[in-house]
Amino acid sequence: MFADWLFTGFSILSVLGAIGLVIFRHPMNGAMSLVITLISLAGLYALLSAKLIFVIQLIVYAGAIMSLILFIIMFLNVQNDDLPNEKDRFLYLIGGGVVLAPVFFFLKKIVQSIPGTEATIVGNGFGGVKEVGLVLFKDWLLPFEIVSILLLVALIGAVVIAGKRRMSK
Amino acid sequence: MIQDYLILSIILFCIGILGVVSRRNVLIIFMSIELMLNAANLAFIAFSRLHLSMDGHVLAMMVMAVAAAEAALALAVVILLHKHKGKLDSNVFSLLKG
Repeated sequence: MFADWLFTGFSILSVLGAIGLVIFRHPMNGAMSLVITLISLAGLYALLSAKLIFVIQLIVYAGAIMSLILFIIMFLNVQNDDLPNEKDRFLYLIGGGVVLAPVFFFLKKIVQSIPGTEATIVGNGFGGVKEVGLVLFKDWLLPFEIVSILLLVALIGAVVIAGKRRMSK
Repeated sequence: MIQDYLILSIILFCIGILGVVSRRNVLIIFMSIELMLNAANLAFIAFSRLHLSMDGHVLAMMVMAVAAAEAALALAVVILLHKHKGKLDSNVFSLLKG
């Protein structure tokens, strides 16, 4: 019962944060709304008894990636006249909503045809560090290595992009 | 029920698409893409709880790694474009017209 109330609260908060991200004009307000969405999504992961993903969401997403984005927004020193003039964004939002509504109802119908279970919290033996680690390093070892190569490529790419500016001076 | 989580993930994904198609600020577009990745993560975790297998957790961790790499590269590109044009408008960045 208590978990149902938590789910309602977290889902309302996450949808409100997402709407705020789309509506607010300044990117700093949008980033703060996205932080609300990410933290409430972490709560939803905890309700789905994914303990490791809950911690990783808080540390990596709401901690590292969002602080990087906030740092970049502050580094660029975005003033009000730097921002694009988006007076007609509500019109585009309404038009996009009309276009997306059939897609949403179609997917909703598909999802409701799935035989579901109650999302009760599973105790030990599901979603902890040990169990996910065993699955990760037994069944998913090759994709894990490929992701590490991807991170290396992104590192080299960031260095190349940052270094080109210095050479052109 | 598990379906409520999936419907929530569909709602978040649709809001992310709306942000990408209707806004012109590159930082907002980038954060909307992050929101769509998070909605996909929520669907992964919900299906993983439905089937009581942990493959979805591993996939969600890989999506987070890809999002981190994307954040590093995309923000570097945004900084370069802002230095080049002095604006954050995605209509200004039409450099590939030749």
